[in-house]
Amino acid sequence: MTVHVLDQLPLWVEGDLSGPEKTVVDQHLACCPSCCEAAENLRTSQAWLRDAMKSPFDAADHERLRQRVMDQVRSTPSRPVGRGFLRSSLLATAAALLLLATLTWAQRRHPTTSAPDPVPAVPGPGRALEAVQKPLPLQPALEAARVAALPHGRAQTARSESTGAPSRIEFQTADPTIRIIWLTQARPLPEPAPILEEKS
Amino acid sequence: MCAVFPGTEAALMEEGFTAPSEAPADGPLEHLVRRIRMGEVEAFADLITCTQARVLALAWRILGDRHLAEDAAQETYLRIFRSLHTFRMGERFEAWMVRIAANVCHDLVRKRGPLPVPMEALAILEGDAAPMGAEESILLDQRRALIRRALASLPQAERSALVLRDLEGHSTEAVARILGVRPATIRSQAASARAKVQVFCARLLKPTDGGRP
Repeated sequence: MTVHVLDQLPLWVEGDLSGPEKTVVDQHLACCPSCCEAAENLRTSQAWLRDAMKSPFDAADHERLRQRVMDQVRSTPSRPVGRGFLRSSLLATAAALLLLATLTWAQRRHPTTSAPDPVPAVPGPGRALEAVQKPLPLQPALEAARVAALPHGRAQTARSESTGAPSRIEFQTADPTIRIIWLTQARPLPEPAPILEEKS
Repeated sequence: MCAVFPGTEAALMEEGFTAPSEAPADGPLEHLVRRIRMGEVEAFADLITCTQARVLALAWRILGDRHLAEDAAQETYLRIFRSLHTFRMGERFEAWMVRIAANVCHDLVRKRGPLPVPMEALAILEGDAAPMGAEESILLDQRRALIRRALASLPQAERSALVLRDLEGHSTEAVARILGVRPATIRSQAASARAKVQVFCARLLKPTDGGRP
């Protein structure tokens, strides 16, 4: 009984068969007229397929596509390079803010030994405004400014322990020309207000 | 018996195609990519000039419609521009571009539903498969329309496999990487698609015959 190779022909016609499989099909085609005709039909249909699917686009279509794309590309506000720079800058800023929040939180948990300002339990509005407008002491800031150059992407803090001066946080971004410097002064948490007992 | 058709390579070269395995890893396209990533946006026009024939042809073969293909090609280039910073230098840019183009085409098919069937092909199928006394050019046009109808009737996966493997000239392994499936799947899908197209062609040649001996 002859075993035909019709199922193998769609693979055989484009060379998708392995060496031994191809040999078997070739040997069968040499002695089977019906399979040979099927193989010829398949080759013909593949040739017709390539002929029918030739690209219909010409130079005018190409020029129109290029114009349409470039018009949109030129009007795009963010370019690939700029977007990458923006992303790294945002990441650096986010890291700096996270570091600042962590340091502030740690300072509030462990307040300094220096005597806190006598702040009333509930400061009045005038006092709060005064505290906001009070300028930072200049000398401690200058002392902290002597922090050595930092390696890339590293943050460092400097703080004058003796005076309770502002902390200085520096963060070197990926761009060597940009360094984020943050001066902050932690104030210890106010003592809880005494509970006033009503006189009965 | 050789399975390669005479003139196939020439036809591919006409469309600006070079065999993927023979192209250098750092060719002129990768050079253009470097310039664009350095901020030279006008180099993107050169990139389009070098590749648009292939992108348009691929989109048209997968989608079967000129206007859809032009939309798909435009969207492909915009996606390329937006995500060019994610392209890893050292990879082949053409393969990356073809992957994006195929994804854009599949997205369009998903949004728009089944592909449109060329109307001229439907007219042929409803009438006699081999019109008598027609001129050769008319027969040729009808034959092409029938083939396009056959391609449009294929399931999307088989159509993509056939287009990328047989018409675009990628290897089975490269098509598998582009479509994200196993090479055995591509072999199976392409073989099924070839058999179906051959049945359509046999219908043109012998209307009463199934096309197989």
